[in-house]
Amino acid sequence: MHEAPKNLSDYRKQIDEALQDDFLRRTLDTFAVAYRANREAVFKEVDEKKLIAKIADAKDDACKHMEELFQKYKAEAEKRGVIVHRAVDADEANQIILRIARENNVKRVVKSKSMTAEEIQLNPVLEADGIIVDETDLGEWIIQLRHEGPSHMVMPAIHLSRYQVADDFTKATGEKQDTDVQKLVKVARVQLRRKFIAADMGISGCNFAIAESGLVTTVTNEGNARMVTTLPRVHVAIAGLDKLVPSIEDALTALQVLPRNATAQRLTSYVSWIAGAGACASSPSGKKIMHVIFLDNGRTEIAKDPLFSQIFRCVRCGACANVCPVFRLVGGHKMGYIYIGAIGLILTYFFHGKDKAAVLCQNCVGCEACANVCAGGIDLPRLIREIRARVAEEQGDGYAALLGSVMKNRKMFHSLLKFAKYAQKPFTGGTQFQRHLPNIFLGKHGFKALPALASKSFRDRWAEIEPKVSNPTMRVAIFSGCAQDFIYPEQLEACVKILAARNVAVEFPMDQTCCGLPLEMMGQRKTAIDVAKQNVQAFPVGRYDAIITLCASCASHLKHTMIKILDGEPAILPQAKLFADKITDFSSFMHDKLGLKKEDFFPSSEKVTYHASCHLCRALDVKEAPRALIASAAEYVPCEEEEVCCGFGGSYSAKFPEISARMLENKLNHIRATGATRLVMDCPGCVMQLRGGAEKQGLDIKVQHLSELLADNLKP
Amino acid sequence: MPPVNPELVEAFSAKAALVNTVMQELPTMAAALQYVVDVCEKKAPAELLADEPSAEKGPLGPNKVPTRVKRIVAAPGLSDEDFATLSAACEAKGFACLREGLRNHLAGIDVGFSCAEAGVAASGTCLMNTNDEDVRLAGMISETHIILLRKSTIYPDLPSIAQLLRERINAEPTTYTTLITGPSRTADIERVAAVGVHGPLELHIILLED
Repeated sequence: MHEAPKNLSDYRKQIDEALQDDFLRRTLDTFAVAYRANREAVFKEVDEKKLIAKIADAKDDACKHMEELFQKYKAEAEKRGVIVHRAVDADEANQIILRIARENNVKRVVKSKSMTAEEIQLNPVLEADGIIVDETDLGEWIIQLRHEGPSHMVMPAIHLSRYQVADDFTKATGEKQDTDVQKLVKVARVQLRRKFIAADMGISGCNFAIAESGLVTTVTNEGNARMVTTLPRVHVAIAGLDKLVPSIEDALTALQVLPRNATAQRLTSYVSWIAGAGACASSPSGKKIMHVIFLDNGRTEIAKDPLFSQIFRCVRCGACANVCPVFRLVGGHKMGYIYIGAIGLILTYFFHGKDKAAVLCQNCVGCEACANVCAGGIDLPRLIREIRARVAEEQGDGYAALLGSVMKNRKMFHSLLKFAKYAQKPFTGGTQFQRHLPNIFLGKHGFKALPALASKSFRDRWAEIEPKVSNPTMRVAIFSGCAQDFIYPEQLEACVKILAARNVAVEFPMDQTCCGLPLEMMGQRKTAIDVAKQNVQAFPVGRYDAIITLCASCASHLKHTMIKILDGEPAILPQAKLFADKITDFSSFMHDKLGLKKEDFFPSSEKVTYHASCHLCRALDVKEAPRALIASAAEYVPCEEEEVCCGFGGSYSAKFPEISARMLENKLNHIRATGATRLVMDCPGCVMQLRGGAEKQGLDIKVQHLSELLADNLKP
Repeated sequence: MPPVNPELVEAFSAKAALVNTVMQELPTMAAALQYVVDVCEKKAPAELLADEPSAEKGPLGPNKVPTRVKRIVAAPGLSDEDFATLSAACEAKGFACLREGLRNHLAGIDVGFSCAEAGVAASGTCLMNTNDEDVRLAGMISETHIILLRKSTIYPDLPSIAQLLRERINAEPTTYTTLITGPSRTADIERVAAVGVHGPLELHIILLED
């Protein structure tokens, strides 16, 4: 356990510390890359999507029947000599365990890993009663020696080097210990065996509490859970009520994903299925004294929430942290309170309160990498945004609320942008970047050159550039998004040029406004709903074969998120669904609908590399189209970690500039290594981030939207 | 007995080998028992990880704790006849051969021998009936754990053992069932893979012709 940040500046100080930890940086970088490859390899043998859907369904169903499952479990376990408890909160759970320890005259406890025990912060309670508590999972033991909390749900000591571990083991044993990892592991083998033998009580977690036979199922690699549940005379298992599942089949399904997701293993070394208090030679009665404690701590309430109940699909695999570009930079101690990673940001809010979560929940770049791998298919980025909305509503965020009130009024918003265009003049020197902004304004944003607003927005140019197409093959509308309308109108013009050349009629409805995603990211739900309604009303959808947007973030928001936030607006929802159906990202339209191929372009040997924007490759699952288009229009050079976030994340890069800058740096290093002379992508936000970064670093590469490359090389 | 499916046997061996399991195919139980004795003879003597007053102590092992002088093979799950054979072979080599009382040797034994009820080809996993504490301990406190698996009992994947697992779990009023996949392992320090953190340093699986 560690302190939760109290405010953003406190949090940013903590983050700075983490960013300066070179060991952490190296370890998590290596891990991030290796994990992706290893995970992909072990998932080839199973149908990943089908298994995840199956886990989601089964866990959703279990959640709906939590109470019945508990009753069934209790009856079955009691039949088998187990005492089943239910604790309403952490304090009650701790008191029950303490009482069991006292009743059985327990002096020494050995524990195998349990996130639930971390949640209730059990150890200090037992220790205050004079009981010696030893963690036996190697990683947990290391952090216990250091008085730290886990920095990862599966690898609790991933933030530590062998040198630090050797120092801790030297202190713990009173003997100088070697820094060789194999030898350090054996030190734990010797030390902990003695603790297993001496213990009176074992405390384990429970990966699956299977109701049909009152089972405690533990999943480990080290084998410590087997020792903990076998050697001492008393066994106490702790499980959240969300661990209840009806059948053995449910556990077997989850077991095909949990180890693959956690550590890229097909199965962990040991899975134990404990049905009842069996024979135990160290117990005076010859029978194990066995207790199972189910922790509520708000779970029955969350189970009733139509949106948030999906958090109980979590199997604690830690994959959401493994793929998170923010976790990769700051580590688990800065990305959670007790539970780590994307799910940690959410669970902190529910289990440990909004004051602990208010700042933490801001630290999600929204790249969707976690949603893409979650074993239970939890829509983690959306839930994090929802929590932000709740926090903003409860606490208020002056700046975001002000912005929200401006954005609600399109005309005011757009006039302000026009005013800003004149106000910026002294700083741009007439270039595309704000060059002379005093450092005091830039602060930690100096890592990238900030873009200047265009001299004339797309909406103001439209009357001049609107193409006249006779006998069109299709009719489309453009949804511009703010960035392209006001900063990068040339990207939209390139698209219009292609459409006109291919005989597609194109319109630009003037009443469209911000898509609402930035508002969602800042927790301004009400305004996000207002702008959604304005946009739906701005487009006569029946007229169009498609509504094209060149901003992947706008596209994913309009296509998927908007209809979810309009759920309580029956008057507009049907129209919104039609609108969402028509939304098409630029790449898919050009590749799938227009069918652009190599023959459509002048031959080019220009080396062009690609950045796969998060909202395109994950939120919209568009992977092949943009790459095929680049290969048709030029020579496509793939880039390392092409699908990893550039660090923009809309307002995220303003809130956490230090993290954004590191993500950008990583990206630019990979881009430099390709030797390409042009970098393209399908999102203006990424263009802003990467062009700004390339400019700042003096990288000799043209950073553009894919539309510009295609328009440049398209045959007439 | 169901017929042996050679594809499943091959897949099982490949997946088990990927997780550091030593694979051995043998034709008969007699050969398997001899293999157990041979493995015990070739291995370094077990380290005494904790104090065991009655044990005769040899020189310090690699982890700076004393080693056993008289080696121990534990085979608590065997039939009387097979145990008698193994016991005699052990005695000839000067090893102790135990069927029970493993709690007296928690400091560590040389070889544990147990029989699997089924195998899972997709992950190289063995399904073990470990209700008996001594059977469980034989696979936990031994430095080398040897599991006997009949080729005809290999199933394709986890879902295919669901019913078998259910029957196993409900076979008695209380049960303790274990799936074992490779030796005890960890990657908790710098993500470096290491085997033998709490349980066996080595896992051997003998695939037995039926």
